[in-house]
Amino acid sequence: MSSHGVITGTGAVCPLARSAPEFYRKLFAGETAVRPMTPEERGDLQATHVARCDAFSPQPEIPPMKARRFDRGSQFAIVACSQAIHESAYDVAANPESIGIALGTGSAGAGALTEFLRVLLRESPEAAPPFHFPNTVANAPASQVSIELKLYGPNVTVTQKDPSALNALLFASLSLRAGRARAMIAGGVDEWNAIYALGFDRVGALRGEKRVSGIVQGEGAFAVLLEEEDAARQRGARPLARLAGLGIAGVPTEPYRFAPDPGAMNRSMRGALDDAGTSPENIGLWFPSRDGVVEMDAAELEAMRGIFGNPPPEILVKQAIGEMAASGGGQLVAAAHALADPDGFFGERRAPRRALVNSFGAGGNFLSAILEAA
Amino acid sequence: MNRDRRVAVTGLGAVTSIGRNVSEFWKNLLAGACGIRPVTLFDASTYRTQTAAEVVDIPDDFLSAAEKRRMSRADRMGLAAAREAIAAAGLDLSREDPSRVGVILGGGTSGLLDSEEFYARHLEGRKARPSRVLNHLPDAITDRVAQRWGLAGIKSTITTACSSSANAMGYAFDAIVSGLADVVLTGGSDVLARLTYGGFNSLRSVDPDPCRPFDRERRGLSIGEAAGILVFEEAGRARRRGAPVVAEFLGYGVTSDAFHMTAPDPSGMAGGRAVRAALASARVDPAAIDYVNAHGTATPQNDSAETAALKAALGERAKEIPVSSIKSMIGHCLCASGGIEAVATALSVRDQAVPPTIHYETPDPQCDLDYVPNFAREVPVRVALSNSFAFGGNSTVVVLARA
Repeated sequence: MSSHGVITGTGAVCPLARSAPEFYRKLFAGETAVRPMTPEERGDLQATHVARCDAFSPQPEIPPMKARRFDRGSQFAIVACSQAIHESAYDVAANPESIGIALGTGSAGAGALTEFLRVLLRESPEAAPPFHFPNTVANAPASQVSIELKLYGPNVTVTQKDPSALNALLFASLSLRAGRARAMIAGGVDEWNAIYALGFDRVGALRGEKRVSGIVQGEGAFAVLLEEEDAARQRGARPLARLAGLGIAGVPTEPYRFAPDPGAMNRSMRGALDDAGTSPENIGLWFPSRDGVVEMDAAELEAMRGIFGNPPPEILVKQAIGEMAASGGGQLVAAAHALADPDGFFGERRAPRRALVNSFGAGGNFLSAILEAA
Repeated sequence: MNRDRRVAVTGLGAVTSIGRNVSEFWKNLLAGACGIRPVTLFDASTYRTQTAAEVVDIPDDFLSAAEKRRMSRADRMGLAAAREAIAAAGLDLSREDPSRVGVILGGGTSGLLDSEEFYARHLEGRKARPSRVLNHLPDAITDRVAQRWGLAGIKSTITTACSSSANAMGYAFDAIVSGLADVVLTGGSDVLARLTYGGFNSLRSVDPDPCRPFDRERRGLSIGEAAGILVFEEAGRARRRGAPVVAEFLGYGVTSDAFHMTAPDPSGMAGGRAVRAALASARVDPAAIDYVNAHGTATPQNDSAETAALKAALGERAKEIPVSSIKSMIGHCLCASGGIEAVATALSVRDQAVPPTIHYETPDPQCDLDYVPNFAREVPVRVALSNSFAFGGNSTVVVLARA
């Protein structure tokens, strides 16, 4: 068995909550933040629902004057990552080179990008506001985090469809193994954007009046601090969970097509189980990828039944916060808290020792993770 | 991590403004050819500058008309370079276990050139064709490469702006060393778009004339576009199958400047950390470095900060070795720059020759290294670095060595 590290801190800024414990509590209470779009959000989209961080304020983590310098995605990320560092009590200043960040995103930079291009296209290239250009890059949130929290270690952003956050977690895990860092913030960030929503709606990705199969878009940021287990124990950290296994599988297909291939999903989950050195009967909790894309959801269920027969109890994250490239981060945060909280939600029942997280996206991009009680 | 597994570079592919394949590109790099010309992909007359290093005539005849219609320019360039790299490696991917072959690329503008048209029509209140935005996300090219060659292993797209494809190579290296994959197609493809062209112009970072890296009179970068793809292969299997090993990928360093979104740390401390991390990963001393393929954007800030970083990390060795910027010839290819510059660096290692920094006339006291001015040079190159520094302070350095 090989450990990828332990999760010693979590952070969440999402439509359901503005901290990881609150997110976990509301999620397990069955609450959802999915709501009808306002007329302004909806425009002429056929999509009807969305999940957004409606009442989000960057305070107190980011002072008001400073907050204006950051785009929305960067604000989400700075707050979520600050929470994760705070919870872990990791001493960044003592060894800034030992800690890095890897975030997954599908939309970071969208606000700055659409605003910069709007002026460039409608008025003139010379009128386009230079202030926005640096924030058009997808790595703006992770990099703003590294600047704000003074992280000198690895700093990457990954974009690979819905499982981008789990892909970032994989990068983080490899970085720890290679000795590039002793701790990595891993997670995801996304911001809802009207023009991106228009694009997704036009290409048929969003659930709505004319489409029963499709996603409801979310936004927010999630972070876990993944840390070398020995180092974490030595400094007296109390891990919430251990990242026991990761599995990845691809299906060769068009970038925007769904590949509802139970065989490849099976390979992703089996990969994670084998990597964790465990077997299906030891999985007590399941965080499905299920996001409303009917054929993908059906394929996941088929793959699950193939492995588990009767799948373990499930917690549906995307039904509570919508789908985005960052959602996998939400699944990780929820799983870590569930495994660390045997007396909370699970009460008298025997708490699960291991949880399976699936994140299956368009373009044949599948990742699975196994977390276990630490 | 299991360091018994090493990574060989067994194939290269290049589509650039000065060559549509590796041999043409390399010949022209050594000849000091310049690919920076007037922009033709969109009307640049209203921009502050009008030149860029555009790719003319993408070698994509192997694609059907319908495929070309579905794909972005970045897709077509990337597929052409991947095809060349796979052929050069002598790989028959249909005979490989598809789950052991991955694709990890640096992504950037992707289909932005098309989605800009969608957006422009939308802003005018006209109906825009949805097919125009299908390739908007930067991971499209990664999925397309996997699709074309039936690959089912790890797929990932790194989006760290100008260091994207350098980090992609680092991820590919870790994936192979850790045993997650045996072969990874890596590097990147990135094309010109109004956003990036207008963006760098809005920051006053573009030289109206072809850029002059490290020259005292440098006034900014020239934007370019390119695809540079490398086949990374576990060295043991590469040797067993008699693969044509171009170079070994020894390791890489990735660090955060944690300094500023766009400005480099002028002291060179931040960039120096990335170089030191790369040396540690590759397990080599500064004295072992024979050549640096510089980031060398030709912005006033980058070139002096990069010079300081090399001196901080390599000490006296920095002054003894050639350091050149091929951006003087192919422009700054943004998210593909790390990939295409690694292709060039691998060729330097293979052929023991380093390309020049062209348009170099006036030495700058802030930039006091040997930048290989204007003429290529034959020098022994056993171990070489390639630097990539990005918006956000994402600094990445890769290490290539003679196999």
